[in-house]
Amino acid sequence: MPKHGMLIRSILVLAAAALLASIAVGSAAAGHKSRQGGTLRGAGSSLVAPAFSIWAPAYQSAKGVTVNYSSVGSGAGIAQISARTVDFGASDAPFSTAQAQGCVVNGVGCINIPWALAATGPVVNIPGVGTLQLKLTGPVLAKIYLGQITNWSDPAITKLNPGLNLPNMAIHVVYRSDGSGDTYAFTNYLSKVSKQWASQVGYATTVNWPTGTGGHGNNGVAAVIGATSGSIGYVSTAYTIANHLRIARLKNASGRYAAPTVRAIESAASLVNSRKIPKNFVGGLSIVNPPKTKTHKYTNAWPISTFTYVLVPLKTPQAALIKSLIKWVLQPAQQKSIQHLVFAPMPTVVVKAAEKALNKISS
Amino acid sequence: MSTLDTTSDVPRRPFSGRRVRLGDLLLQGVAGLAALGATVLVGLIAYKIVEGSRLSISTFGLGFLQRVGWDPVHNLFGAETFLFGTAVTSIGALILATPLALGIALFLTELAPNWVRGPVTALVETLAAIPSVVIGLWGILVLGPVLLNDVMPALHSALGFIPLFGPTSTGASVFTAIIVLTIMILPIVSSISRELFLGVPSELKEAALGLGTTRWEMVRGVILPYTRGGVAAAMILGLGRALGEAVAVAQVIGSFSGNGISWNLFNPGNSIGSELVNEFLNYSTTLELSSLFYLALILLVFSLAVNLLAQVIVRRVARRQGFVS
Repeated sequence: MPKHGMLIRSILVLAAAALLASIAVGSAAAGHKSRQGGTLRGAGSSLVAPAFSIWAPAYQSAKGVTVNYSSVGSGAGIAQISARTVDFGASDAPFSTAQAQGCVVNGVGCINIPWALAATGPVVNIPGVGTLQLKLTGPVLAKIYLGQITNWSDPAITKLNPGLNLPNMAIHVVYRSDGSGDTYAFTNYLSKVSKQWASQVGYATTVNWPTGTGGHGNNGVAAVIGATSGSIGYVSTAYTIANHLRIARLKNASGRYAAPTVRAIESAASLVNSRKIPKNFVGGLSIVNPPKTKTHKYTNAWPISTFTYVLVPLKTPQAALIKSLIKWVLQPAQQKSIQHLVFAPMPTVVVKAAEKALNKISS
Repeated sequence: MSTLDTTSDVPRRPFSGRRVRLGDLLLQGVAGLAALGATVLVGLIAYKIVEGSRLSISTFGLGFLQRVGWDPVHNLFGAETFLFGTAVTSIGALILATPLALGIALFLTELAPNWVRGPVTALVETLAAIPSVVIGLWGILVLGPVLLNDVMPALHSALGFIPLFGPTSTGASVFTAIIVLTIMILPIVSSISRELFLGVPSELKEAALGLGTTRWEMVRGVILPYTRGGVAAAMILGLGRALGEAVAVAQVIGSFSGNGISWNLFNPGNSIGSELVNEFLNYSTTLELSSLFYLALILLVFSLAVNLLAQVIVRRVARRQGFVS
């Protein structure tokens, strides 16, 4: 027995030594890294995550700064920057008043700055209907999500799709159950096109859905739609393309059935040229369903386009690093490098305003 | 300070004649601190939850329990759908898991050949080690479609006259959540039952078989009555696990909060744990955050009651059987 005890003891000692050694090596490596350039930690929006898979390695090789971004959802991004557990948050929805108050720590608040431009779109799983074949209008989409249109052969839908053979099949509505910027953009759009939606449901990162099934995350929504004939849902456009989901066209305000392309998103975003940009982007910039005017028709505009925001405390020890990252992201080269993921370059006025807003951040 | 107090205690113990050993002092100090820490932590968490829910309690009162819907836009929150969904999914899982778990335990203690017992026991217990997020993913990607396309339509056409088996909607439903929870509580109920069955004195079993009973009669007449109380406690521990499970349920239950008490298991629903997973990191208003704390408080009270019940049963059984608990 004593021999046995000795053996165990020496194993324990060895394990402890190995652990200590690995900690020492690890911290030495970390120390070495921070002397070179530094590390930034960010978390939030899953919509902007594909862009980061391009930006982060490029930024690492250009500036030697490591950016660790975790795609945890817009709501979680807001929560994490409010708790200061990350250096920056990311959200497709701007701070609500309560969230802005929640982000104040020791008298220091946060700012949301737009840094990318993308879209959300309806996807369907109907037997015999391919991508970009189904046409929908905003009011019909709202009625589907209100539970008032419940069958794909409803005249309201067949009237819009004369060439399409729509089955007599129940519609299964699918939405995001976790708080999401996609939900914010989608319900913001439904509120613009349906008075009943606006008064009964409204818009936020989570709403009180009148009907349907919730999927957890983009993956959950895609899984439920993929497995359910007759379903309709909405996901980020980058995600739609990567997973070969079947997109539905939406009629925009000038009467065209648009598809979510980079050009269509750019067209919708040009709305900011005729609007006043709020000081420090309080309340965000909404570009859903740009209205047709005499001077600007937004002929090709995709009606559920959305800016996505970086969330930064106004006073932070990492100010210099964060500001140079955002400045770099705002450059035309970076804005264009993510076009294949269906991100559109932001309009110049927004980039200028964003650069100005950066000056508010200090260390 | 507390460490000093405990150390000064040691020499007054019955063994004070012995030399005070450093190891003993350390053991007492560390163990005492750990126990104290755990107690204080539970107290702090409970305090934080009560504190956090104060705004919602003063706004909605007990009416919160009966209100339907979760509406951050209009700042109206109610728990009825979540309470009902939590109760239905955990009780449903318990009803399905108990006979299965007892069957596994009987097989492993009475029926299986010796060389099978070890590996099967290990495998069943491995089920408990699978992270809930993985079971949830499997639930939505694999189980959901199978249930939707094969199981639900069959149940609906055979038993559709029972409101529980109504028309289907998608693979994410209360029924899917029940099946996932059944799988998750199976190991805990079966491994405790196995231990209990092993504890049945072999004289009793042999006496019964000696009187000419069949194996089934022996199980029914000796093993089950002898372990009844313990099995009940195992079931309640399983229930506790099902009540608190959040992540896997959030992935498969379909998170629809607007239906209150709906008896069709094939509809999407919601549970307290699932709503906390979906919303806690994402609250839009301070009242919503407070209402989420209120939900957590309800869950805490439920779980506490269930755990106390299990302890009471275990203690009573132990006393009856002459064990020291």
